Amino acid sequence: MNIAVTELRRRPSRFVTTTVILTLLATLLMLLGGLLDGLIAGSTGAINAQRADVFVYGATAERSIPRSRIAPENRTTIEGVDGVEEVGGIGVVQLGARVPGNAARDLAPVALFGYQLSPEGVPAPPEAGTAYADRTLEANGVAVGETLQVGPARTQVKVVGWVDGLAYAGQGTLWASTDTWRTATAANRPDAVVGAEDFQALLVRAGSGVDATELARRIDRSTDGATDSLALAAAVEAIPGVTEQRSTFNQIIGVTIVIAVVVVALFFALLTVERTALYGVLKAIGATSGRLFRGVLLQAVVVTAIAATVGAVIAVGLDLLIPPGSIPFTLEPARVVSSVAFLLVAAVIGCAFSLRRVLRIDPASAIGSST
Amino acid sequence: MFLALREMRRAVVRFALLAASVGLLVFLILFQQTLQAGLITSFIGAIEHQSSPVLVYSVDGLRNLEGSVITPDLEQQIRAVDGVGAAGRIGQGTFSVTADGDVTSAAVIGYEDERLGAPTTLTVGRLPSNADEVVALDSAADEGFGLGDSVTVEPGGLELAVVGQASEIGLQAAPTLFTTYETFERVVTAANPDSGGALPAVIGVAPADGVTDGELVQGIDDSVPDAEALTRTDAAKGTPGIDQIQQSFQVIFLLYGLVVPLVTGLFFLILTLQKAGALTLLRAVGVTGGSLVRSLLSQVAIVLVLGIGIGIALYAPLASQRLGSIPLSFQTGAVVFWSVLLFVLGILSALVSARRVLRIDPIEATTGAGVKA
Repeated sequence: MNIAVTELRRRPSRFVTTTVILTLLATLLMLLGGLLDGLIAGSTGAINAQRADVFVYGATAERSIPRSRIAPENRTTIEGVDGVEEVGGIGVVQLGARVPGNAARDLAPVALFGYQLSPEGVPAPPEAGTAYADRTLEANGVAVGETLQVGPARTQVKVVGWVDGLAYAGQGTLWASTDTWRTATAANRPDAVVGAEDFQALLVRAGSGVDATELARRIDRSTDGATDSLALAAAVEAIPGVTEQRSTFNQIIGVTIVIAVVVVALFFALLTVERTALYGVLKAIGATSGRLFRGVLLQAVVVTAIAATVGAVIAVGLDLLIPPGSIPFTLEPARVVSSVAFLLVAAVIGCAFSLRRVLRIDPASAIGSST
Repeated sequence: MFLALREMRRAVVRFALLAASVGLLVFLILFQQTLQAGLITSFIGAIEHQSSPVLVYSVDGLRNLEGSVITPDLEQQIRAVDGVGAAGRIGQGTFSVTADGDVTSAAVIGYEDERLGAPTTLTVGRLPSNADEVVALDSAADEGFGLGDSVTVEPGGLELAVVGQASEIGLQAAPTLFTTYETFERVVTAANPDSGGALPAVIGVAPADGVTDGELVQGIDDSVPDAEALTRTDAAKGTPGIDQIQQSFQVIFLLYGLVVPLVTGLFFLILTLQKAGALTLLRAVGVTGGSLVRSLLSQVAIVLVLGIGIGIALYAPLASQRLGSIPLSFQTGAVVFWSVLLFVLGILSALVSARRVLRIDPIEATTGAGVKA
């Protein structure tokens, strides 16, 4: 162990190449994880923040809010289902918004929500023609007090306050009354207009102690299959693209970890080969294979820990530098910790490939060696 | 050379493992290259493979076919621009449909003029000539979008007959249907009876004689502030999300591209160090350093050729399959590019080992020191 630490201290240049490669991999891991978290938050924020237990879509909507329609008679039925405490309608229309002061062609993509039940952090619906804006729209030049012109019909929507973490489909959102949503939809997307009493989807708050998944089943039974209801967590996962994004990024992250294993394995195999004669001598004077391997393991862990720390500093720096609303990058502490943990495990696994080589070294070989 | 081949025969497992590792990495690179191409085609194939040379979006659409809406006033302004030879409405929407008994999402594109928005990659059947006829994405044939199949728009129940199939016309990774503009309007009403009618998403325009596509784009952008004209290629590339897909894959390719030479280089370096004694002895009995380096490089070349061959052999049968809703295709260009690049990088990576071989001093045979670490 002492020799391993001494070598690290006295000949750090020997470990520079591996440290640099592992730093790159650590940075890459955290960047990929941050991108994944940012993308997921950008797609799911508006749904995740709902203070509801069940999300109700139309049966043929394929769990897409813009394609969903809930007729008033189905809402009445749902309100009567045992376990339902409160029901609110919701609708969304995605449009371009002209921001005062921006160039004529520099529009901000927005999703204008009309809501009845307030999501987490959003006050009660504001008066007609006004909306709360998701803070990511600040990056597009939006400011409180400004009036945006939304859609080709340039429907006027005044921003009356900020809300946080409510992005939808990668866009900043505006939270308005259902009247504002209906007016904007009729003026700008006549193809997407819903009936005067219809909503695109419903949010349901369950009574105390009611299981959300069971309540969702009860709601669908009560409407004779005219609805497709999901507990909120399932509704978040059902957002188109979320599962695909998560699985694709996790595969890439997995491959990156495997590459880290290969890099550590190859590097320490190389070091072990170079030290074969030295290990032969050490074994001849009484060092055990376990002690020698622990030295290799310690070096691998120290090198990886240094690389992971530098990688984390780079990732945190990037997180601070990237302005909100530009690249969908969100670095969570849990992501940094898990990335470091994965890399350390990769280092231990990679290092284990050198164990066999250390065990095979014959102390007798030291006698014939000139080193 | 002779020794190099003998060594490979005797340690066949060791070299086979390296070749298999390289093969696996080559396979992963080629497969992901194909996945990238398939993903992009399934997102924007419909834009790339439609007949209109120029597409005019509303500025509000932010280059997104689904988000763009052309109001009647904007349409008149576009049609009135100098240099417009022909103009036709193109509508687009994503709808729930029942196909083969299952409810699924389908992108529907309606064109007014066959020269401005019809699919150009018809593989079987014909273009729609009657109401409620569609051309479907050929790779979705097994999902109820085959020639002769009937697709029902939900919840209105409008029946659409598939009269043709075209390749690479996907949009937003969904099964895609091309139809006439009249049928598209009927689809919108069937899906949402409360709708106030369909508006075109874009206007397909062709330049008048003597006007280039680029000049037409410039002319429309200069004359109509609320419109954004793009050539077919720019419209496809400029679709939101495409850049991000390409950038993400480029990072992955760079990573893999670095790993292959890294693995090969380290493997042969370890091998060189292990053989240090034997190599020193060979130098002592008169074998030149150049000869040993040639042996080393020939081993590297053989391993790389075998590895790349294994990679291509694994990739070829998978390249013509489907991955979920994404149809894949064999990418000859990618195979050639990556084979050459990885071979060259692999050979270059062995130069570190070659340098060590050249540093062997034959006199060390008398001391047993071999290659210095």
